[in-house]
Amino acid sequence: MRQADRIAIAAAGVVTPIGQDLDAFWSGLLTGVDGISTIEAFPVADLRVGRGGEIKKLTRVKDWAGVPPCRATRLLVSAAEDLATQAGLRPLPFAAERVAVVVGTALGGVAEGERALGGDRRRRRLADALYDGPAHNLARWLGARGPAMTVSTACASGATAIGVAADLLRRGLADAVIAGGYDPLCRFVMRGFDALRSLTRERVRPFDRRRSGLLLGEAGALVLLRRDADAGPRRLGTLLGHATVGDGAHISAPHPDGCGLERAIRLALGQAGLPPEAIDFVSAHGTGTALNDRIETAVLKRVLGARAHAVPVNSIKSTLGHTMGAAATLEAVMCLLAGRHGQIPPTRYLEEPDPDCDLDYVPGAPRAARPAVSLSTSLGFGGQNAALVLESAP
Amino acid sequence: MSATAAALPVPAVLPAPRIRGVGLCSGWGRGAAAIPSDARAAAAGRPLVGLGPADPAALGFSAERMRRATRECLWALASVQAMLEDVGAGRQAIAGDGTALVFVSAAVYGASNRAFIERSGGGTHFAYTAPAVIPAEVAIEFRLTGPSALFIGGPPATLHGIWHAASLLADGVCERALVVAVETFAECGELYERGRRLAGAPLVEAAACAWLEPGPGTLSLALGAARGPRRSAIAARLGETFACEPLAAIACWRAEGAREPLVLEGRWRREAARLAWLAAPAEGALPGGPAWRGAAEGELCGGPAWRGAAEGELRGNEVG
Repeated sequence: MRQADRIAIAAAGVVTPIGQDLDAFWSGLLTGVDGISTIEAFPVADLRVGRGGEIKKLTRVKDWAGVPPCRATRLLVSAAEDLATQAGLRPLPFAAERVAVVVGTALGGVAEGERALGGDRRRRRLADALYDGPAHNLARWLGARGPAMTVSTACASGATAIGVAADLLRRGLADAVIAGGYDPLCRFVMRGFDALRSLTRERVRPFDRRRSGLLLGEAGALVLLRRDADAGPRRLGTLLGHATVGDGAHISAPHPDGCGLERAIRLALGQAGLPPEAIDFVSAHGTGTALNDRIETAVLKRVLGARAHAVPVNSIKSTLGHTMGAAATLEAVMCLLAGRHGQIPPTRYLEEPDPDCDLDYVPGAPRAARPAVSLSTSLGFGGQNAALVLESAP
Repeated sequence: MSATAAALPVPAVLPAPRIRGVGLCSGWGRGAAAIPSDARAAAAGRPLVGLGPADPAALGFSAERMRRATRECLWALASVQAMLEDVGAGRQAIAGDGTALVFVSAAVYGASNRAFIERSGGGTHFAYTAPAVIPAEVAIEFRLTGPSALFIGGPPATLHGIWHAASLLADGVCERALVVAVETFAECGELYERGRRLAGAPLVEAAACAWLEPGPGTLSLALGAARGPRRSAIAARLGETFACEPLAAIACWRAEGAREPLVLEGRWRREAARLAWLAAPAEGALPGGPAWRGAAEGELCGGPAWRGAAEGELRGNEVG
């Protein structure tokens, strides 16, 4: 397997339930802002669980003129506005034809489909209901005229999108890529996870013996990727390796041995040209479901070997909810910010460790540590497993 | 941050994959031979030509395991089975972690999403609304455990999917790659009529699979903006099949003897892409037309006439 060229992560922009820009997101992770609340945007009274990481009002963008009234698009545009402010992307400093957009999503514009089927006959609703609609809307808002791509490896989409985007740069199909993920909360997905009985009525407690499920959240997260040589020293960090692997086991549950996740991690490390000993920190998928957390722990023990108990591992899903298509991108950004600021955000609400989950999950409070190389893992429906190997900027 | 893009030393090229086999199931029947010469005439006024219900037993799959699988999942499986029959290989030839699976669709999730929205569905039904579950059923049935990717979009997304597969092969991440595309429309037929103006060709449901493996020559991908309506040769014959179109074009190209160099074009919304198999090695010079230089050169379709039986495009602006 060939070692891949390094890809610079020049800047990031986010919109999340704990903050609508990168600084607020980071500060919320460290200070313990809780993004979970009762959902207000649509009826939830008939559901077992009506809470989630809802963004009550999108405040980042002041002028929505020309942006379709599609929640998914507006999450992306809000994140892009933050990214554009930090990276000076408005107007684009690159040839528009050489700027690509690659975004990952689990739900696309399904909320627009719900509205269209509910009697809203505007043609726009149907166009935005196609899962690739928001990516094209984002490209239009940015003025990017390169490829606008959508990937959908379910809740691993935000990682797969970054990997696909990196490949566009490595192969010379673009000079800059805005990549990441998004998903809105909507009745469709709340009903679905309610039917799966995956949602908890309690707090989300990753790796805790009392863990009883996940809560969903909504977010948009984007990064600006460039070839290493083109990016200059001012950057958040570097993508060293990526892999997405299918495990062929079950339509909605991970392989019981975690072999797909293990293969993804080893492939990503191979692409990075690094041994497992190089990993300083792991951002786990950490949903707070019984199966996921146990499987992930077992996989990390196999990959990290004797060092497994010495490597800090966290999950930020107890703070934000599971933000689906955005989750992996948010977690990648968190890894890079941890290296920049010398702080690892805690796994909130982990209080009584599960004996089967016996790694160092950073419970309680932020940990003073400056990880140089991080591993971020993600899993999704359809047996999707993704891994990113990231290096924080010094 | 640099204000100008660095000049690329070479256009976007990769070692070309060899197309070992193709499976195609469409509303017209199985394989390229079933495709009419004129979709509009063959449809005789029907706006939609469907694949029909999928019977697991008739397709050779376990009815018990497939009792909850959706029609689109079953047709995805059928396309892989058809590909294996085209190659003359058994399932064991593709099983394991040496096979990458790339799935592409513009709209296949519509049926399951609509059913879940309009009817009270349980957790299993909800799981099937995820596009990723369709390749998952393929992976489970054929025991594929290698790299995976899932692109959403029309023909350019499929061309990206083939490119992505070639990239995985070139990097030595897998030994072979399957590119699978499925489009079903029947469950949302009136929404398509409401949301778009049919452009002459009927919507035709299809499922297709191509087996790629390392091969000689060079694969070139060029990207640009789609401008103006242009009728595609393959769409005129086959009808509109969204993401399946490039794979159907490959099936036609092979059925017609694969005599011409393979060049695939695709359009969707405002994008155009062209994927070309070239005999020259990857490091060598490429034909000099501006369209070969990548997206920065702009519009693709105003260039020279492109050879090959497999040209395809979609009148994408009418979809978005």
